Amino acid sequence: MRRVEHIMGFPISLRIDDGHTPAEAADAVFAWLHEVDARFSPFKPDSEVSRLDRGELEPGELSADLTEVLGLCEDYRVSTKGAFDVRLPGRGLDPCAMVKGWAVQRAADLLEAAGVRTYCLNAGGDVVAAGRPWRVGVRHPEHADQLCTVLELTEGGVATSARYERGDHILDGRTGRPATGLLSLTVVAPTLTEADATATAAFAMGTEGIEWAAARVGCEVFAVDADRQVFRTPGLPVAA
Amino acid sequence: MKRALPVLVLSIAGLVPVWLYEPSPATTSSSTSSTTTTSSSGSAGSSSTVVTGPSLTTEKGDVQVEVTFAGSKISSVRMLKQPHHPQTTAAVPVLIKETLAAQSADIDTVSGATITSGAYKKSLQAAIDARG
Repeated sequence: MRRVEHIMGFPISLRIDDGHTPAEAADAVFAWLHEVDARFSPFKPDSEVSRLDRGELEPGELSADLTEVLGLCEDYRVSTKGAFDVRLPGRGLDPCAMVKGWAVQRAADLLEAAGVRTYCLNAGGDVVAAGRPWRVGVRHPEHADQLCTVLELTEGGVATSARYERGDHILDGRTGRPATGLLSLTVVAPTLTEADATATAAFAMGTEGIEWAAARVGCEVFAVDADRQVFRTPGLPVAA
Repeated sequence: MKRALPVLVLSIAGLVPVWLYEPSPATTSSSTSSTTTTSSSGSAGSSSTVVTGPSLTTEKGDVQVEVTFAGSKISSVRMLKQPHHPQTTAAVPVLIKETLAAQSADIDTVSGATITSGAYKKSLQAAIDARG
């Protein structure tokens, strides 16, 4: 079963390889992601994130979900010494970098809870997969139709941060300037929440982010710096 | 020159501890003898031997290992005591350096920077999704 929908401005491709899958399992995935868009988008004035940013919500009034997301954001801000920061001076609260991986991982958890075993969910380039060896190509940072490596994973998340799709959108919170030290950085982790946040945070840090990400428990890294040099961890699951 | 001299003296003074530094056993200030325990394991009459090494006091803290032999081969090594020093608790990660390669291959999906819905049509992932 394959299905593609566009939510939050990016394509979401779901593939389920189990013999019989109730359509409701896939429906639940897309319904959840629509809900996330409505609740956490900083671009929607009535979202919980926008209301919090305007001071309309007290800390005690936050949903458990947003409390969890903001707690994760704070962990990464401290761990990166401020390079990853969803509250930059002069800008509104923007937890998108954390929400995406967290929400797509939650969608995968919904599939698991519905009894789905063999699936691959790709949300605009962030992947969470389970059930069989999945071959995940990592897009070449300079050639859209080429790959720079192929990974194989049976369970877990893969996320890539780079400038080639949306330009200098990742800022180094320590300087407020666009992060330009890397062309692309990919993280493989047990969950997409970890993979996506680690990839974004490491990208914001620049070249020093490669070692920082590689030192995180459970994370494998593939990075291309501005000089086109590749750095990867020995445990990276490169396909044969 | 008047300023350079104290700097030179201080540099040499700073190097002295480095020259004097010598890894164990010079830094060992106390030790106990190792102990050996032999036990017979159930399978095929082979025996395993557990050797507890001496406790060494290093400048980073106490170190003691326990080694289990299956016959003459080491089957496991366990740290009984290890220093809580940054060098042992957070090792610098190993990174492999490679040159950037471009390839095309048979894949199930593509990981890349977040692609917009507008750019999706021309993407590799769209081609994979259309293949069905």
